[in-house]
Amino acid sequence: MLERIDTDILILGAGGAGLVAALHAYKGSPDLKLTIAVKGLMGKCGCTRMVQGGYNVALGPGDSIERHFMDTIVGGKWLPHQEMAWKLCETAVTRVQELENEIGCFFDREDDGSLHHKAFAGQTVDRTVHKGDLTGIEIINRLMEQVLALPIQRLEEHRALALIPNRAGDALAGVLLSDMRHGTMRLVRAKAVLMATGGGPSMYRYYTPSGEKSMDGLAMALRLGLPLRDMEMVQFHPTGLLGGKDTRMTGTVLEEGLRGAGGHLLDGSGRRFMFDYDEHGERATRDIVSRGIYAQMRSGHTTPNGGVYISMGHLGADNVRNKFRGMVKRCADCGFDLAGGRVEVVPTAHYFMGGLVCDPDTTTELPGLFVAGEDASGMHGANRLGGNGVANSTVFGGVAGDVMSSYAASAGPHQDPDETIVEAEISRALHPFSKKPGNVNSLREDLMDIMWGKVGVIRTAEGIKRGIGQIRQLKAELLETGVGEFDTIFNMTWNDWLNLRSLTETSEMIAQAALSRENSRGAHYREDFPQAGDLDDSYFTLARSSADGISVKQDAVVFSIIQPGESLIEGYHESAAQIRK
Amino acid sequence: MSKLSVTKRGDFVKMCIWRGDASGGSFVDYKIPVSETQTVLDAVTWVQRNVEPGLSYRFACRVGMCGSCAMMVNGRPRWTCRTHVSKVIKNNQIRLEPLRNLPVIKDLVCDLSDFFAKWLKANGRFVPTATREHPVKKISPLSRQRQAANAAIECINCAVCYAACDAVEQYPNYLGPAALNRAWTLVNDVRDDGKRERLRAITADGGCQCCHSQHGCASHCPNELNPARSIAGLKQVAVTAIFKGEV
Repeated sequence: MLERIDTDILILGAGGAGLVAALHAYKGSPDLKLTIAVKGLMGKCGCTRMVQGGYNVALGPGDSIERHFMDTIVGGKWLPHQEMAWKLCETAVTRVQELENEIGCFFDREDDGSLHHKAFAGQTVDRTVHKGDLTGIEIINRLMEQVLALPIQRLEEHRALALIPNRAGDALAGVLLSDMRHGTMRLVRAKAVLMATGGGPSMYRYYTPSGEKSMDGLAMALRLGLPLRDMEMVQFHPTGLLGGKDTRMTGTVLEEGLRGAGGHLLDGSGRRFMFDYDEHGERATRDIVSRGIYAQMRSGHTTPNGGVYISMGHLGADNVRNKFRGMVKRCADCGFDLAGGRVEVVPTAHYFMGGLVCDPDTTTELPGLFVAGEDASGMHGANRLGGNGVANSTVFGGVAGDVMSSYAASAGPHQDPDETIVEAEISRALHPFSKKPGNVNSLREDLMDIMWGKVGVIRTAEGIKRGIGQIRQLKAELLETGVGEFDTIFNMTWNDWLNLRSLTETSEMIAQAALSRENSRGAHYREDFPQAGDLDDSYFTLARSSADGISVKQDAVVFSIIQPGESLIEGYHESAAQIRK
Repeated sequence: MSKLSVTKRGDFVKMCIWRGDASGGSFVDYKIPVSETQTVLDAVTWVQRNVEPGLSYRFACRVGMCGSCAMMVNGRPRWTCRTHVSKVIKNNQIRLEPLRNLPVIKDLVCDLSDFFAKWLKANGRFVPTATREHPVKKISPLSRQRQAANAAIECINCAVCYAACDAVEQYPNYLGPAALNRAWTLVNDVRDDGKRERLRAITADGGCQCCHSQHGCASHCPNELNPARSIAGLKQVAVTAIFKGEV
């Protein structure tokens, strides 16, 4: 059941990073054979599509690449890889022009016809370009049309199972994939492979990303022993919809603007509580509000489903309906009255700042392997600014496409895959068919509870250690849990099992990195080490997996462009403090 | 909200789910416990997790942004992630089938290849007049053309309109409402350079003249778009072009 095909460039993933990479690779070397493999349908899965807010780009009045860079570094609590952050801010300018002028995206305009830049949290100028509150759909639809029109081989509903090195183990030979529609497996040899599978911290009780996300990319990378950076950095959005365990709606985002417009957060008894935690109340930053809600939940003052309420009614139901049409409709379709009533909400895992270590040109430690989008790391540091997510995926996707096209054009013949690894990975994937059927979903529920409770919004050494023990136990249980009779065609339960396997592996990595960081920066909050630590001694975590287990070390952040306290803009820190108020 | 209070905890609902593949299939009944916050997608998920591990369906975003989960619910195409069970239940029963007018792959999963091939055939792709080196063009959002484009642009290509369309069923060549709706947004895009070819595509066999204005698309679009109106706009453009001898 193993089919073998060769291509020059293989792209894993069809979100913002994968699609832009394909267009750039084609433009760079149109004679090369290009292949995109995607877990769902082209343009329909992935998280770029789900972007509501918009795209940060220094094109507006009073803005500059330097200012965008400063906001990114300060927002990332001085942990970002500064060259990556600079590349992000600098390239965003041409990328937005490319999306508008060449791809056909149309972003919202001012009445005079110029681009509209909106205000977004953590930024010292109105910067974010958008298409209403459905920016991602506009970007992905337009990219998809361009990609579909090119002679690019499409492997839809193909799940990447493993990165396969060559026999010497010193370069990538290709990728093992499962063709979900036909139930077969494919080994695709490629001279250059882009890992752009998206992050998606869906191992938490509450999470926002698309439902098929399971951090497969990072799980494959860690199995090859590649270094992963900032794995403790999981961003929580404060207001995910809470509808109970049994609805897939649970965890999906209720937009930030609701709090900005004056929405109240109430505990189970109907009391406003955010002012107990911060003078800005509901309008404090994402991390503070998430921690406030989490602390309130821990103290037991919860709603029926164990969260808190968001209440908009005091602003006038009609007013809310007009201002947040999409959100109100989304809630109403599923039985919640956002405009006039109260809706249960909870902090929800949103974005993964950590990822595979790479250079600003998207190359990795393993020749032939490139990385972009949420699978990559470094540019966001300890926190990602709203609007820098889609900028990241499309900027570095394009960089990867450019770099891979010249790399693949000048590479020698295809590498021979290590057949022992191919064989081992096939049996690894088919493993659950050899076990007695069990309840995969209840194990998934267990993992979500472990990560939420022990490695979530507020962490302690004791909790994380217990969490690691429980994750390991769960891994062992998963290996004894089967999925029913042998059937590989569109078998969702088998895929649930494979998803869970990726999630358990990445979860342990997150927990180990979280244990290693004994301070609180950005998205990572340690109750036993609440201080941020000296900015001058900032370090990032670097985790690797080997036969001996997971090791985490700490490396000093290189302040290659600016030092803490310095700025590329005169008066930045003073004015930023004013604006943040 | 009163409409949604039909189902309550402790009740059961019968789901008749089409099971099979391209070679054929039949309906299988499942009894599902009802909960207050339960979409049709949740009910299908419950079956897969608890009764029928081999049941195939498709979903991704969970919130009506990707359109992957569209299927026929009691004979009507819908996004299942955004459809509350109590909204569609009839005689305590819900019938699920893969989307109409598209080949089935397995169970509730259909093959959307034709749908996207027609999107391209309608030249539903932007043709640039400027490059990444140019600044973004100044375009007033108040201009007539931009307003026409904006009114039709928020399509997520879920194929609900395509499944609802009788003309698609009648003429297998017909490009369908979504593809033509996209063509209409491009006809109104002043930055686009593909108008001549697009005009040829939409007036060719399978083009806008296949639409009988029955508005199945408009009455089913979950985003409340009106592809029929876009197609009417295309017909006018086509007539004008024919008179001017441009096609």
